[in-house]
Amino acid sequence: MSHILKNKVLDDFILWSNLKNGDERSFSLLFEKYYRDLINYGNSLCPFAEKVQDCIQDVFADIWLYRASLLDNVIVKAYLLSSVRKRIARLHERDYIFKKTTTTDVLEFLFDFSIENALVEDEVTAERVLHLNKLLNDLPGRQKEALYLRYHQGLSVDQIAELLEVNYQSANNLLHRGLLSLRKEWKGSIPLLILIYSGLL
Amino acid sequence: MQKRNNYTEIEDFLADESFQLWILSKIDEQGWEEWTLENLQRAKLVEDARLLLLAMRVPDSKLSSSQVHEALQLTWQRIEQREALSQETLKIKRLRTIRYWGTGIAAAILVGLFSAWFFKNDILPHDNIVTYNELVEENNEGLVEQTNNTEKSQTITLSDGSSVLLQPNSKLSYPKIFTGNERKVYLSGEGFFEISKNPKKPFFVYANEIVTRVVGTSFRIKAYPDQQNVEVLVRTGKVRVKSNDMVRSVENEEIILLPNQAVRFARKDFVFNKITNITADPILVNSVTNIEQLSFEFTDIPVAQILETIEQAYLVDIDFPNDKLKDCRLTTSLSDQPLAEKLKIICKSIGNDTNYEMNGNQIVITTSGCN
Repeated sequence: MSHILKNKVLDDFILWSNLKNGDERSFSLLFEKYYRDLINYGNSLCPFAEKVQDCIQDVFADIWLYRASLLDNVIVKAYLLSSVRKRIARLHERDYIFKKTTTTDVLEFLFDFSIENALVEDEVTAERVLHLNKLLNDLPGRQKEALYLRYHQGLSVDQIAELLEVNYQSANNLLHRGLLSLRKEWKGSIPLLILIYSGLL
Repeated sequence: MQKRNNYTEIEDFLADESFQLWILSKIDEQGWEEWTLENLQRAKLVEDARLLLLAMRVPDSKLSSSQVHEALQLTWQRIEQREALSQETLKIKRLRTIRYWGTGIAAAILVGLFSAWFFKNDILPHDNIVTYNELVEENNEGLVEQTNNTEKSQTITLSDGSSVLLQPNSKLSYPKIFTGNERKVYLSGEGFFEISKNPKKPFFVYANEIVTRVVGTSFRIKAYPDQQNVEVLVRTGKVRVKSNDMVRSVENEEIILLPNQAVRFARKDFVFNKITNITADPILVNSVTNIEQLSFEFTDIPVAQILETIEQAYLVDIDFPNDKLKDCRLTTSLSDQPLAEKLKIICKSIGNDTNYEMNGNQIVITTSGCN
């Protein structure tokens, strides 16, 4: 498992350094590998699908055109997600030119988590999951975004901190606070025994 | 793998890819189920994590790989546009085409085209030009080429029955037999096309910087390498014209032409001008060819006369038994048909035992007369 993960990262490193040296194929491979993830993330920051596509294509165009000045040893996925976020933020700034905002704080995470219905076998679980889902979606946008980046895009806390432009501790808090408040509410309402048995079906 | 023994928080589980795989895809490669059952406290944590994962679903992206591929091509186009802007001084234009390899992996193939700036051509800027030779080289279907060096037009019949009337100083490359789902030919100079109908296999004419797409119609294309404009004029049916993907165009617009409409593409400015009234355009009026002036609507006309019209239109020789067809008259409409189709219809109308054979521009009709 960690072996696979390492390979994946290694691949990215190789593709990235080939790209830096002008290899178009590596560029295309990275594009195809991450385009869907980026669209998914972009759409949760901006409701206009076409603008999101534009932003992502611009990010890649920039990477190619300024490849000579790219850093080595970049975690490609984190870099891409972060670049897309910045682009979309810039778009926002332009649209809201009268609000004097200069940070990416203006971005609101619009995404709602849904439920893995197909994997919920019994009613008790279904109810719990539904409840949890509602609690999750009621979290502040930034906490939701942190959770999304951590558990769906697989970024580390470090990378999330960098992407959201906060320090490590704050990023950790965002993640932790989200789950903590969740757990408080939900522990009160769920008998432990049911949890154990329903979990081992 | 043993690091999971130290997991104390839900977060530890959520971030574990193999755990996610087990919960969401039911792929238990590392014995999570067994491991969970070992310890009650652990089982509780696992269940919490499981419920959370189930409640935190992110729908899969619905993009197909062709959509991703399309986005990639758009990105390359974007890059080229920006490169072109910033490298104006270098005067280097690259043409990129992206091809899929068997594995489905896209590979960008770079064709570097170094414009011959030293031989500055006064007519056209070099970086937007597509030549016939480039187009033909791109194709790997094993093309045959016909060049018309004579002073009269020549008729070419393609494997699908379509005919092309090739003007002097023009050439056409085409596959001996059309295979696959597209019919592609390449033109330099001028030709009048009559395409046999086949909506399943669209017909493409590549000529200089533009591509003309039809399913079955007749139209004329004028695309000489040393002229400033490319023209497409439609006689029957519907024709789509757009610029070739090989060249950068700011807006990749598609022009749709109906009968007696034309488009003139200015190669220098890369602009399409649609002409809806062709009779008011002196250039188009003057270049009308024989075939376009002739009517193929026949009402009770002697067969000999019909065949004569065909001879004039396609500049072919038709040999037929005059005495046997002396009293044969036909009423038919042949306007929208390629040469081979016209002959077929005529033969069928005359009688069952009537056939034709075509050899270059020599056509022989055999018959025992009309019934």
